Amino acid sequence: MGSNRPLLIPLDAPGQWDEQLVGGKAAKLAQLMCAGFEVPRGFCLTTRAYEVFVKEAGITAAIRMELGRKSMEDMRWEEIWDAALRIRSTFLAQRLSGLLRETVAEGLRGFDASTLLAVRSSAIGEDSAGRSFAGLHESIIGVRGQQAVEDAVRLVWASLWSDAALLYRRELGLDPVHSRMAVLVQEMVNADSSGVAFARDPRNINRECVVIESVPGPCGLLVDGLVDPDHWELDRKTGCIIAWLPGQRDDMQQHAPLLETRDLEQILDTLLSVEQLFGWSPDMEWTGKSGSLTVLQARPITAAVSDENEKRAWYLSLRLGDVRLKELRTRVAEKLIPELQALGQALAAEELELLADLPLADAIEARAAAIARWKKIYWDDFIPFAHGVRRLATYYNDAVRAQDPYEFVGLLRNQPLVATQRNDAIGNLAQQLAANVMLRSAIERLLAEYAGSLRWPTFRDALMQIADGAGEFVRGFDDMNDRFLDITYDQERLHDQSESMLRNLIELSQAPNPSCSNQQLAGDSAELLRKRLLDAVGPQRREEALEVVETGRVSWKLRDDDNLLVARLESQLLRALDVAAKRLRELGRLSGKGRPNDTHVDSIVRALREASTAPVKLEATAKVPARQSSFTQPGETPRQLIGQPASPGVATGTVRCIRGTGDLGKFRRGEVLVCDAIQPTMTHLVPLASAIVERRGGMLIHGAIIARELGIPCVNGVRNAAETLKNGDLVTVDGHLGIVTVGAAEFDLELGVKST
Amino acid sequence: MNNPDEPLIDNNDMSESPLSKADPAVRERIQSLVDKQPYAVLCVQGNNQPYGALVAFAFSDDLRHAVFVTPVATRKYRLLRECEHVAFVIDNRSNKADDLMDIEAVTITGRSQMIERGREFERCSGLLVTRHPYLKSFVNAASCALFRVDVVRFLHVARFQEVSQWVPTARS
Repeated sequence: MGSNRPLLIPLDAPGQWDEQLVGGKAAKLAQLMCAGFEVPRGFCLTTRAYEVFVKEAGITAAIRMELGRKSMEDMRWEEIWDAALRIRSTFLAQRLSGLLRETVAEGLRGFDASTLLAVRSSAIGEDSAGRSFAGLHESIIGVRGQQAVEDAVRLVWASLWSDAALLYRRELGLDPVHSRMAVLVQEMVNADSSGVAFARDPRNINRECVVIESVPGPCGLLVDGLVDPDHWELDRKTGCIIAWLPGQRDDMQQHAPLLETRDLEQILDTLLSVEQLFGWSPDMEWTGKSGSLTVLQARPITAAVSDENEKRAWYLSLRLGDVRLKELRTRVAEKLIPELQALGQALAAEELELLADLPLADAIEARAAAIARWKKIYWDDFIPFAHGVRRLATYYNDAVRAQDPYEFVGLLRNQPLVATQRNDAIGNLAQQLAANVMLRSAIERLLAEYAGSLRWPTFRDALMQIADGAGEFVRGFDDMNDRFLDITYDQERLHDQSESMLRNLIELSQAPNPSCSNQQLAGDSAELLRKRLLDAVGPQRREEALEVVETGRVSWKLRDDDNLLVARLESQLLRALDVAAKRLRELGRLSGKGRPNDTHVDSIVRALREASTAPVKLEATAKVPARQSSFTQPGETPRQLIGQPASPGVATGTVRCIRGTGDLGKFRRGEVLVCDAIQPTMTHLVPLASAIVERRGGMLIHGAIIARELGIPCVNGVRNAAETLKNGDLVTVDGHLGIVTVGAAEFDLELGVKST
Repeated sequence: MNNPDEPLIDNNDMSESPLSKADPAVRERIQSLVDKQPYAVLCVQGNNQPYGALVAFAFSDDLRHAVFVTPVATRKYRLLRECEHVAFVIDNRSNKADDLMDIEAVTITGRSQMIERGREFERCSGLLVTRHPYLKSFVNAASCALFRVDVVRFLHVARFQEVSQWVPTARS
């Protein structure tokens, strides 16, 4: 790795095809150029330029710190995305040194100042080893001028550490110390049509045919899947058209082929010439037509990978472009969510107790089918739409270059989330108890009396009898329970957990601010951030920026709401199963102490339909923790646990682990809330907590966002948090550093007995 | 007659060694070691209990001051607040037994002082962030405290047992 290696190599420099220096893409394009193929002119910033940049900026250590916080195997996709976002921010925060700026200037001397350029990744080995890693790294088009090129180069370098690349880190051999990235800067070629072409059918490499796809305009539209292409299959030997399929595009000429026979012939000729040059069958990106065909990229065809069990491919499919996101926004916000809301309400209104056995069985099956359908929609539409928030994050950071890569979160605020409305309703009830000490005392007395066996209707009647002014509270509680708590958490209906909620209300009523809505908004206001963004992008991109913000906001809101709305359907299934189980139990056709859940649908439906079936037995299912503490041997105890600093601040308190519905009512104000993940169903507990510790990591998850808004320290991504920490443990949660210290702040020193 | 196999100066007995005017080479070797090594073992004490912890450090140009940062919810923070007498150990060990004679180490003694936010904090944290840019957010975190160690003495060890002392003075 001598320092005499060049920082820049022009694409047309003869013989400079060392892939270790220029990366795979540039090496192949340089070879094609030298062989006489039409390739957009340009230059390559070599891997040495990357090395110089990361060394000068101290980025290697930053990457190692980011990726070394916990084992990558323990990191969820959201945490990997967070790590990539912060690494990207680190790259953007560092400017190029004088030497590198001069190098870029030298490369740009060959271009007119107004030339539009494409700044493309050229990673080492990304198109080799029988597998293409196309799309893991970034390419930026439409770049003009020195500063814009420098910015784009840093973004492309940062994409060596994109979330996608981190997912494939093993296959890529990604390593903070040794990995490097070259960058290709090329003149953009504007042509009427572009496309991809394969020297052999990638679906069946043995077929003697080439496949050509074409779209109007730039190739990126096809590669990003934004435009449906015309599709040809040609005989490799004769060039005859075997098949033609027109693209489904919303344009006037969608039935006329985009390419004529001579265009197809030239693409075929070029493909076969490239194949001859390299000795492998190429997958080629091209632009232009016969007479002006330009090769944009050539790499070996890789056989289609069986990704049926490949969840990473699914994750990568979530990275939708703005057009797709907007389509999805319309579909989700205007069709799916209202439909889901209406269904939940309709099911909740059904009087199941009045149904005969057969209609009740039908109702149970219909609910189970509805849940299955909506869970599929959840994966197919809701989760991909959640990408809208991530798109907003990168868009905002690229434009504003904020020091805090999560500053954009302020843009998501002030939306009427279902969870916020629920928390407002809970806050109102708590305030009533704070203002009426007699009522609160009456509830506390009754809670002591009914502890463990509380049924709301009985409790309500008793409360009305002994407490003046209980009517308003009771009506409010009924309303809140029906509107917001007819949902499931941990396979149980929160609607049936009135004792827990009443205990939470008592605690909230004694808190300094009984309202549990997000009043103390931290950071800059949404309006200020919006202005900051619009100023940064300028008037030309104003509309685009507003669209990205709106999609991000809707995405965030619905991502929170959809959980609760699906949980409402689940609650309706449990309600129907409860009605059926009660009926069957009374008839002696159901036994056991367990409560029915979704695994009992078939047996209960059968029992309702056929009186001759064997009685159903519901076993009480013991809940087994999914994870185990890392501290299992005698003498082993945690002292300091690390996670992500998800909300700043330091707080000391005793641990209360929330592992299921039974724990909700035990939460006391000032305790440290420790759980696997803060669910939208339990966010009302957050205002009671002095701090939050979660196993699930991420800066954009419910717990982190709410904690930041309420100014409560939060550390998340703590491995096995709910299993490692025990109720009553004294912990100090440092939300600045992402550290949870276990034990008293005043440590026991080693004052042990002297041995004699 | 001098025995040619014995060292010319016995550096092991520091109390008798007039080494405050050390050979300039000693300072250079110390400078080289602290420049090359980013981390040191910080030694603190309290209630007669010694305690050691690894820290990232930076020195002022004149080597009279060292700076480091610790989260406040730590044992070393508590001990630092209790007793200002501290030591650092910095070495270039490679953890191979064969390298014993190649190891250089320096033990630095001094007094620590917590630096409150202000001009001196900016100066000291600047030293640390320049040396460790990836620790910027750690250094500036509200839950961290920055300490400056005013150095009293350097004890440089080479070739297993060859020890030299250097006491920085205002002129050095």
